[in-house]
Amino acid sequence: MNNYKVTQDYYNYVNNNYNQPLYNQDVKKNTVLDPYNGFIRGNMFPELYNSYKINTPYEITPMNEQAELLTYVDAYTFAMIDLNLYLDVYPNDKEALQLFNQYRTQAEEYIKKYESKFGPLLLTSNSLNTFPWAWNKNPWPWEKK
Amino acid sequence: MWIYEKKLEYPVNIRRKDLKMAKYLMAQYGGPDGELAASLRYLNQRYTMPDEKGKALLTDIGTEELAHIEIIAAMISQLVSGATIDELVAAGLGPHFTQHDHALFPTDAEGVPFTSAYIEASGDYIADLESNMAAEQRARATYEHLMDLTNDPDVLGPLAFLRQREVIHYQRFKELRNYYLEKKI
Repeated sequence: MNNYKVTQDYYNYVNNNYNQPLYNQDVKKNTVLDPYNGFIRGNMFPELYNSYKINTPYEITPMNEQAELLTYVDAYTFAMIDLNLYLDVYPNDKEALQLFNQYRTQAEEYIKKYESKFGPLLLTSNSLNTFPWAWNKNPWPWEKK
Repeated sequence: MWIYEKKLEYPVNIRRKDLKMAKYLMAQYGGPDGELAASLRYLNQRYTMPDEKGKALLTDIGTEELAHIEIIAAMISQLVSGATIDELVAAGLGPHFTQHDHALFPTDAEGVPFTSAYIEASGDYIADLESNMAAEQRARATYEHLMDLTNDPDVLGPLAFLRQREVIHYQRFKELRNYYLEKKI
């Protein structure tokens, strides 16, 4: 998914890095990754990234349009989740808040797009207004694609 | 309440059957530092957090851990898919087959059933947050042990993702704990 390089976004966050002492830490200006690169690392915050065994994170290689669209949903939803946890602790970070809402809007768009083509992800989906009932259709999330 | 989203947080598509790995992964399903224990731990502790930050963080990390139970379950389910009885026995899953056939059941890697004794909830939010920091570190270490036990990229991908989430959760618990200590809440 090399076409996936989204713009770099910047904001401040407290650099409490994982292996550093607990107190008197500097507040540094830093970046967050774009949603796709955050998603494949499981971490939107490069300063906190701490790899093991795998030096380069695995790319997601979607086999079809459905898997590709789902990867966009996954990436933007993940960006929301990681910023959500950050904002719980730093609720006054305006830039993070703005970024959260940007990703939330984009996640919503990708979810709608996915649902209109491949069926519901959520019970609030318009794609459920069909006959017969579409929610129970395979594959379920734990099944191999 | 909770709503279901019909997708995994991180995709799981494991092509190669590996029963031993499935057995090892049980550590993070029903083990002491597994995802089930983590989710229930945080979702119980949230009722005694002292402020909005704590109530939100424990709710949201507890919720994410529910999604991680589902990732581990998907991995185990795919790793054992199509296994014969002989293959299960050879991988040490004979006792599991006896009681549960191909069903998922939360135990640790040695088959010890999940117990609520894994869920720490002291009512003291500093004690709980420090306990959670340690739990996240133990879970991270367990993911490293699991990654040491396989070279299948289909398995390593989700394990690396889950391990990294432990790093982030540890960080957020630590920040919240430091905030409470500094503010003397």
